[in-house]
Amino acid sequence: MKQGLKLAMEATNSNPTSTAAAELLCGVNAKALLDSVDAFLFDCDGVIWKGDKLIDGTPETLEMLRSMGKKLIFVTNNSTKSRFQYANKFRSLGLSVSQDEIFSSSYAAAMYLKVNQFPLEKKVYVIGGEGIVQELQLSGFTALGGPEDGEKRAQWKSNCLFEHDKDVGAVVVGLDPDINYYKLQYGTICIRENPGCLFIATNRDSVGHMTDLQEWPGAGCMVGAICGSTERKPIVVGKPSTFMMDFLLQKFNLSTYRMCMVGDRLDTDILFGQNAGCKTLLVLSGVTTKSILDDPSNKIQPDYYTSKVSDFLNFLGE
Amino acid sequence: MVTKAVVSVSVAASITSSKLLINPSHRFSCLKSLSSLNSFSASALAIKCRGLSNCTSIKSARTMEGFTTITRASAQPLQNADELIASVETFIFDCDGVIWKGDKLIDGVPETLDMLRSKGKRLVFVTNNSTKSRKQYGKKFETLGLNVSEEEIFASSFAAAAYLKSINFPKDKKVYVIGEDGILKELELAGFQYLGGPEDGGKKIELKPGFLMEHDHDVGAVVVGFDRYFNYYKVQYGTLCIRENPGCLFIATNRDAVTHLTDAQEWAGGGSMVGAICGSTQRDPLVVGKPSTFMMDYLSDKFGILKSQICMVGDRLDTDILFGQNGGCKTLLVLSGVTTLSMLESPSNSIQPDFYTNKISDFLAPKTATV
Repeated sequence: MKQGLKLAMEATNSNPTSTAAAELLCGVNAKALLDSVDAFLFDCDGVIWKGDKLIDGTPETLEMLRSMGKKLIFVTNNSTKSRFQYANKFRSLGLSVSQDEIFSSSYAAAMYLKVNQFPLEKKVYVIGGEGIVQELQLSGFTALGGPEDGEKRAQWKSNCLFEHDKDVGAVVVGLDPDINYYKLQYGTICIRENPGCLFIATNRDSVGHMTDLQEWPGAGCMVGAICGSTERKPIVVGKPSTFMMDFLLQKFNLSTYRMCMVGDRLDTDILFGQNAGCKTLLVLSGVTTKSILDDPSNKIQPDYYTSKVSDFLNFLGE
Repeated sequence: MVTKAVVSVSVAASITSSKLLINPSHRFSCLKSLSSLNSFSASALAIKCRGLSNCTSIKSARTMEGFTTITRASAQPLQNADELIASVETFIFDCDGVIWKGDKLIDGVPETLDMLRSKGKRLVFVTNNSTKSRKQYGKKFETLGLNVSEEEIFASSFAAAAYLKSINFPKDKKVYVIGEDGILKELELAGFQYLGGPEDGGKKIELKPGFLMEHDHDVGAVVVGFDRYFNYYKVQYGTLCIRENPGCLFIATNRDAVTHLTDAQEWAGGGSMVGAICGSTQRDPLVVGKPSTFMMDYLSDKFGILKSQICMVGDRLDTDILFGQNGGCKTLLVLSGVTTLSMLESPSNSIQPDFYTNKISDFLAPKTATV
């Protein structure tokens, strides 16, 4: 069942639909929430894991939800892995999740090009990780750049031209811990000089928990860099853009109001859920603290909030 | 008498200046084309403009400097260079695309500078390029056979250090630099402690469990400029300082989208590195380079010159010309750099210099220069 969802071309904080303060999840409303939804959409970093460490109680909670007949879907803005690689990560952490249940922004980028009939003879330059490269290749596209360009250095001598492939028709920018000047320059020149070249961002998260102990700059950094050098705004395919929702809805025959989006970021996860018409639950196990949620400058209020996903186990035990 | 609309916005973070909305029927009575110039003070112009009761619905834009801008008449081709020269005391020149391109001098530059000096004009060179210090730029000028002293050069690397000095940045605090040698040298000259710079370009991180990146809690400012040794380590270091050290400043030398590192093409500029840190911190920087008027204020203060006595000469509309306009100077665009005549005349361009010409050596040509 497809709803008429508008493709949000830019990640903005516009139109937060809920203005009432978030409710703290407790025994009573947790049961009511579970009764009212058929599917849970989980963000991953800061919700399921932090870096490569599982957040306590997650496996048991997911098991419990599955046993209650709930569908579980994982929607992550982290584009460094493909869906296949994410399925491997879940498995290595002892969680049984199939690749069909995973919607990464790397997959979203490839799907965007597919649904918009990006010509197969054109190429895609990637400022990002292996995940984007793999998803593009799986869809039949030619990907240039990616992690291996992390080793390249630009040369600047008089009469020395920085070469770039004139067949690049799109530059996809995501989280890239191997960011360097060569890649910034390559992407910039493609966007500025190849006629009609698309500028696609997997997401614009400012920071994220790439490791368990601290936050690290997210794709918002690399995307910001390319915005700075091209003076153009990107097409954003990851949260809070609802682009991925169409794919989700095609796969699972559900209404969005029977879904609950569970995430740790207000301006991506919660806004995504609200934009799509889902219920929303903020967990405080990631980048957002209670004081950020309560701060007067915050305009995004989820329906509910709780400390972490495994709180469901406690509530249902009451 | 020319009633010229005055004083424009320094839109530090964006490219085009915001416009005041003037009642259209009075627009052209406010703005006359500048075929002849009279020198009068910027403040006198400002009073003239405010006195115009026909200027309705004026929307003032909030910026770092708090000025407001007015749509201008189209730029005029420079036909009477002598008149322009006679009307100002100081020429401020941008460097890339005006004096040189990469490491190649633009034709006729030495003779032009000599001629202006012989007429008693003060020459100042203001560049957004932060890779060199003033001293290093002095050497570049020397290598190219130009007689320019380092006291006449104001690079954005110098501007960053001068800014910190002007706010009495404490000497016991440190500065983290995402940028090149020029910034480090200027900070050192000004007596500030710095961390980072090119050598952090070699540092790598491994995102694995249990790894914590430490940062110096005494860093009180992060200065970001053009950086060919840009990497994730530096982004994280700068981001941690800005997000976690209370009161930590985020200073940008400039936000140029592209720069002419070599004469052959454009290269991703300082705007890229600054954009990256904006993306990770969700903060806007204090910009010290053009089009911010920080360097203009510094110069006019240092040399005791009135801004109306200055002509800014540059090749970029959104930095050089806007800088001159924000500062209340006359402005001359040269087409020897990044801006073409069609870009100037494009309907999407809202920045109109007073004059335009091919290159600065047109000053040497008698009367009319054909563009």
